[in-house]
Amino acid sequence: MWRFAWRNLLTRPVRTLLALIGLSIPILGVIGLFSLSNGLRDLVGDTLSRIQGIIIVREGAFSPVFSDLKADLEDRIRAIPGVRLVTPELWKLAPSVEGRSPIGQVARTMAGGLLNKNKKDGGSQIQGLLDQPVIVGQDSTKRAGIKSEIFIKALLKGSEGGRYLNPGDIGERRIVISRKVAKDNPHADTGLPRKVGDSLDIGGKDFEIVGLYDTGSMFLDVVIIMDIHAARELLQVGEDTVSTFYVEGTDPSANDELTLAIERELPGMDARSPNEISSNFGTLMNQLDLFLLATVMLALIVGVVGIINTMLMSTTERFAEFGVLRTNGWSRRDVLTLVSAESAYLGFLAGLVGYLLALTFTLIANQFLTSTGLSLTITPENALRGLALSVAMGMLGGIYPAWKASRMVPMAAIRLGSH
Amino acid sequence: MSSLPSDGSKPDATTMIEVVEVRKSFRSGDRMVEALRGVTCQIQRGRCAFVVGPSGSGKSTLLYLLGALDRPTEGAIHVDGRDLTTMSEPQANAYRKNDVGFIFQSFNLIANLTAVENVLVPFFPTGVTAEHRAQAVGLLEQVGLKHRLEHRPRQLSGGEQQRVAIARALVKEPKLLLADEPTGELDSRTGDEIYRILRRLQAQRQTTLVVVTHDRRFITANDQVLEIQDGQLLSDNQPQPDASLARSH
Repeated sequence: MWRFAWRNLLTRPVRTLLALIGLSIPILGVIGLFSLSNGLRDLVGDTLSRIQGIIIVREGAFSPVFSDLKADLEDRIRAIPGVRLVTPELWKLAPSVEGRSPIGQVARTMAGGLLNKNKKDGGSQIQGLLDQPVIVGQDSTKRAGIKSEIFIKALLKGSEGGRYLNPGDIGERRIVISRKVAKDNPHADTGLPRKVGDSLDIGGKDFEIVGLYDTGSMFLDVVIIMDIHAARELLQVGEDTVSTFYVEGTDPSANDELTLAIERELPGMDARSPNEISSNFGTLMNQLDLFLLATVMLALIVGVVGIINTMLMSTTERFAEFGVLRTNGWSRRDVLTLVSAESAYLGFLAGLVGYLLALTFTLIANQFLTSTGLSLTITPENALRGLALSVAMGMLGGIYPAWKASRMVPMAAIRLGSH
Repeated sequence: MSSLPSDGSKPDATTMIEVVEVRKSFRSGDRMVEALRGVTCQIQRGRCAFVVGPSGSGKSTLLYLLGALDRPTEGAIHVDGRDLTTMSEPQANAYRKNDVGFIFQSFNLIANLTAVENVLVPFFPTGVTAEHRAQAVGLLEQVGLKHRLEHRPRQLSGGEQQRVAIARALVKEPKLLLADEPTGELDSRTGDEIYRILRRLQAQRQTTLVVVTHDRRFITANDQVLEIQDGQLLSDNQPQPDASLARSH
C-alpha cells in the first residue's frame, strides 16, 4: 500500500512539487533558525569560556557599555573574602573612529546593504550593525597578576602582534586593536589595514597602535583597549566613575558563591560570573527561539494549508477510485491509511528538501560569516527535528482529506465515476 | 433466513440470492427518489441472471445493494445464506473482499497501476504474496492479456481494460460476480468477446453472475431475466433448469 501511495504522489508531479515548496520553505526556516541559534550559543559559549573572573556592573545594565559605578567601590570589593584581584574598567562606545561616528556607521551599513550590488560584501554589511567599536579603558597597574586576560592571549604572533599595554602606557594615547578594527579602518591613501606603529584617529585624537589581536569572536573583536586615564580624557569621564570592576577570586570554581557574596555586600550591583552570563544568555536565546518559532509557525500553517489543498484536490479527483477500492474490500481505515501515507510522504519529502535548502543556506552564509566567529551548523538532532516536524505537518494536513475520502459512500463514488 | 419470498416459494440450497420486498429511496436535491419499490426475486447458484430495464429503472441500485455497497431502506437481501441488511461494516468489507467481484461500465481501473497491479488491488491492504501475483497473471493470461501485464490502462484498448477488470473481479475467486453494463462503452464485436470471456470463466468457476444491462443481444435462453421498470419487478423469466445446468457444466 505504501508503494501505491508513493506512486499516487508521483502521478501528479506538478501539484506534489507545489505542495513540497509550500512546506519545505518553513522547514528551511525552522532548521535555519535553529542552526543560527546554535551558532550564537556556541559563539557566546566560546567567548565566555575565556573569561574566568566576575564582572560587576550596575544592576539592570544590559552591557558594561551602559553601566556607571562609583570608583571608590573598589576597596569595598577588595575587602570581600575570596576576592584576589579587583581592577576597574571603563567601557563606552567609541565616539568616532577615523572621523566616522557610530550613528553614521549604522546609517552607512544600512545604506550599503541597500545599494551595494557586490554580493561578496553582503556579509560585512550584515555584521556591520554589530561592528560598533567599543573603547575599554584598563588600569595596567592593577591588572598585574590577572589570570584570564583574553586580549593578551589573542595577540597576533611575532612582530605583527606588537605588545599589550603595560604600566609604561599610563596616560599615553596608545591602543591595542583587533585585526578586524585595523582592517575596517584602512589607510585612506593606500587602502592597507592599520598595523602596529600606525596611528588611529579616535574622537579626533591620534592614538598609536601598539598591539594587534584576534579573538575570532564578533563580540570581542570590536574592542579598542587603551589606558583608563587616556580613556577618561577621550570620553570625558571623571575619576570618580568607572563602568565595571573585573574581579578574580582566589578559587575560580567558587565564582558563583563569590558572586552572591558581592551582591550581598553591594546592593544595587550586579555581579556576573561566566556561568550566570551563560545562563542568562541561554534564557534569552530560549525566548528568542520561541519567538522565532512562533513566527515560523505562521509559515508552517500556510504550508499545512497547502498540503490540505493538494490532498483535497487529489482525493476529490479520485472519488471513483476510492469507490473501486471500497468495492474490492478496502475498509474505511484502509482508505484513510492510504491518503495519510500520501500526506506523510509529502511531509517527509518537504522535510528533506527543507533540510537540503537549509544545508545550502548555512554553507553559503558561513562563507560570509568567517570573520565574525559565528558558524551556522545543522546538528543531526535539528535535522531530525525538522524532518519529524515536516512529517507531522504533512500528516496533519492530510487528516481532513483522508477522513473525507474514507467517508465516501462507495455507490455514490462509483456512480460519480461512471457519469 | 427470516423472510420468505412473496410468491410463497421456499428458498432452497440452490438459491444464491434472495431479495425480499426491497425498497430503496434516497434524497436527490429537495425530493426523495424511490429507486426500488418492493422488489422480490431469487437467483439460483451458478446461474447467469440479467437485470434489464430502461435507464433510471433501479437496476443498478439493485446490483449495488447485492454487493453490499449500500443498504435497502426496507426489505431483506440474503446472499449465500447471509443477510446483507444486518451486516456490520467490517462484515460488509469482508464480504466485498472475499465473496463478491464487481465489473463496471467504465472499467474503473487505477491509472497509475499496471494491468497486473490493478488485478492485485484487493490484496494491497493485507499485502500481495507471490501466490496472489501468480493467480493474477494466470487470470490475465486466461483473458488473453499475457503480453499486456505491465501495461497501464492508458496503453490498453477499452476491451482490454474491461478484461483486466474481469480478472480483478475474479482474482478473489468470488461466489458472486456483479457486472454493471459491462459492455456499455464497447463496440458490439468487443462486447461479444467480453461476454464470451465472462460466460466461460463463470461456467468454469461456477460463479453466480448478475449482469445489469439495457442491451438484450447478449441474453440467451438459458439466462434468467429480471425486468425492472420504475423500481418494480415487471417480470422474472426463469430458464429451463435442465438447460441452464447443462450449460453451466
